[in-house]
Amino acid sequence: MDARHSTIQRVWRVDKMIKHFKLLGIFWRFSILAELEYRVNFLTNAFMSIFWLVWGIAGASIFFAQRDEIGGWTYYQVLIVLGLFSMFTGIMEAFFRPNITSMIEAVRNGTFDFVLVKPVNSQFYASFHSLTMWRLVDILAGAGLIGYALYKLQVVPTVQQYFAFFALVLIALVIVYCFWLAMMTMSFWFVKVDNLAELFYSFYEAARFPVSVYGTWLRAILTFVIPIAFITTVPATALIGSLEPIEMLFGLAIALVLLFGTNRLWNFAIRSYASASS
Amino acid sequence: MSSAPIVVSNLKKYYQVHDKEPGFSGSLKSFVNRKYRQVKAVDDISFEIDAGEIVGFLGPNGAGKTTTLKMLSGLLHPTSGTARVLGFVPQTRRAEYLRQMTLVMGQKQQLTWDLPAIETFLVNQAIYEIPDDQYAKMLDELTELLDLAPLLKKQVRKLSLGERMKCELAAALLHQPQVLFLDEPTIGLDVTMQTKIRQFVGEYNRRYNATVILTSHYMADVTALCKRVIVVDHGKLMYDGSLAELSARIAPHKLVRVELSAPMNGHNLSAYGEVLKAKGQSVEFLVPRSKTSETASRILSELPVADVTIEDPPIEDVIARVFEQAALARQDRSENDEDESGDA
Repeated sequence: MDARHSTIQRVWRVDKMIKHFKLLGIFWRFSILAELEYRVNFLTNAFMSIFWLVWGIAGASIFFAQRDEIGGWTYYQVLIVLGLFSMFTGIMEAFFRPNITSMIEAVRNGTFDFVLVKPVNSQFYASFHSLTMWRLVDILAGAGLIGYALYKLQVVPTVQQYFAFFALVLIALVIVYCFWLAMMTMSFWFVKVDNLAELFYSFYEAARFPVSVYGTWLRAILTFVIPIAFITTVPATALIGSLEPIEMLFGLAIALVLLFGTNRLWNFAIRSYASASS
Repeated sequence: MSSAPIVVSNLKKYYQVHDKEPGFSGSLKSFVNRKYRQVKAVDDISFEIDAGEIVGFLGPNGAGKTTTLKMLSGLLHPTSGTARVLGFVPQTRRAEYLRQMTLVMGQKQQLTWDLPAIETFLVNQAIYEIPDDQYAKMLDELTELLDLAPLLKKQVRKLSLGERMKCELAAALLHQPQVLFLDEPTIGLDVTMQTKIRQFVGEYNRRYNATVILTSHYMADVTALCKRVIVVDHGKLMYDGSLAELSARIAPHKLVRVELSAPMNGHNLSAYGEVLKAKGQSVEFLVPRSKTSETASRILSELPVADVTIEDPPIEDVIARVFEQAALARQDRSENDEDESGDA
C-alpha cells in the first residue's frame, strides 16, 4: 500500500470517527428524551445507587472491624476497589444493560432487521444506541468514594500513576464491553440471554473486593478466565502505587484479544442470523 | 449483464428446521436427537425488474415472498443463486447500497414507542447522513403527501395503527431511496387508510421513478398499483407478467352483470352463459372471453336491459385459482416421487 493511499484511508477513518461520535450524541439524546417520559425513575434509581454503595461500605466496615487488612489491603484501599466496583456497575447499567435488553427484544420480534438494512455499523448501533441516564449516578458516587478514600489515605498519586490508572480503567472498559458484546451476540442463537447477564453479574460481584482476598484457584480464574481482576483490583493498584507494569501489559493484551475475538464473533453471528418470523 | 435495477437469477434459500413431536417426551427426544428437515423457502426463482416499475409479489402465507424480500435487502444470505440490486450484491450490505434502498414491514415497526416520530426521523437523518437542507425538503414533502403535520410531535404509542404506518413510511423514505421493498404495508389498516397509503406509494414512485416490490394480502393494493405481478407458491415462481394477462389466462371468462328493466318472463338465461346469480332483476353471467362482445350484444337485443357492465372476475378469485392449480400440480409431483422428502 503506498503512502498516498494510506493517508486517504486515515482521512476516511477520521471522517468515520466524527460520524460515529455524532451518532453517539444523537442516540444518547434520543435515549435521554425517552427516559424523561418517566420522571419518577430518576429519584428511585438515584436512591438505589446510594443505597447499594452504602451497603457495600457497611460490608467492608464489618470485615475491618475485626482486622486491619485483608489480602494485604487496608480499609481505605478496599474502598478504592469498592468505588471502582460502583463505577463499573454504573457503566454497565447505564451503557450496556439497556442495549442488551433492547437487542434481545429486537432479535425476538425481528425488528433487528431495521438495523441491518441501514448504512450503520451494526455492532456499533447494537452496542451503543441506548443509554440509561439515571445509572450515571453510580459512576459519580463511585468516583466520590475513590476521592474520599484517597483523601483518607493521604495519598496524592503522581501524574504517571494517574495516567496508568486511566489507561487501566480504559482497558477495564474494553474488557467489560467485550463480555457484554459476547452475551449480546449469543442472543442471535439463543434469543433469550437475560440469564447470561445475571450469570455475568454473579461473577462480577467478586470484583467488590481485591482479588488477593480469594484463594489461589479462584484468584487465577478471576484473573485469567473471567478477568474480573482487571476491572477493579488492577486499576486500584495504580492509584495506590503497587501496580506491576507486567499487569498493565497483560491487561492490554487481554483487552485487545477480547476486542478482536468478540468482533469476529459478532460478524459471524450476523452472517448466520435468520430473523424471526419469515 | 442486464442494467435493470433488480436482477434475480436462480435464487434459492433452503432452511434446516427440526420437527418436534408434541409433549414432554417429544421435547426431550428432540433435545437429544434432533431430526432435521430441509424447507425450500425460495426454490430457484429468477426475474428482472426495471427502473420505475411497481411489481406486486403475490402468494399465500409461507410462499417465500418475505424470504425473497429479505434476501434482496441483504438480511439473508441465499443458499445459491444470485441477486443484484442496483449493481450490488445485497448480502454484502455495502453502505452505498443500503443508502439507496428501504425496507418497510407492515408487521414490524422501527419507530420508538415512547417518543414522537420526529425523533426517530432525526436519528435516521444522522444514520443516512442526510444534509440538513435535503432533510428539511424531504420532510416537507412527506408531511404534505401523508398529512403528517398533526402526527409528528405525538408520541408514537398514542398514534392509531394507520397514523403509525404513515410515520413508518416517512421514516423509511427520508433518505429518498431508489428501491423500495414493501412487505404488507397496508396490513390491518381500514379501507380509507389503505387507499391513502396506496396513493402515496404510487405518488412516490412517479416522483422519484423508484422501483418498488410490494407484497400484500389486499388485492386492491395490487390492482391499483401494479401492472405486473409475480406469483410465488411454495418457493416456486408460478407466474410473472401483467395482471390483465394473468386473469385472462387463469380465468378465461368475463363477468357480465345485467340490470333488467322488467322481470324476466321465462327467458332461458343459461343460453347466454353460466348464470352465477339471478336475483330479482339483476343477473350475473360468466361468459367466455372470446364471446364477450357477441354475448353482450345478444343480451342487449334480446333482453329488456336497463344497464350492462362487463368486468374481469375479482382478482382474489383469480389468484386463488392459481394456487389451487399449483397445489394440484404439486400433489401430482409428490405422488410420482414419493420418497424425495425424507429427513436430511
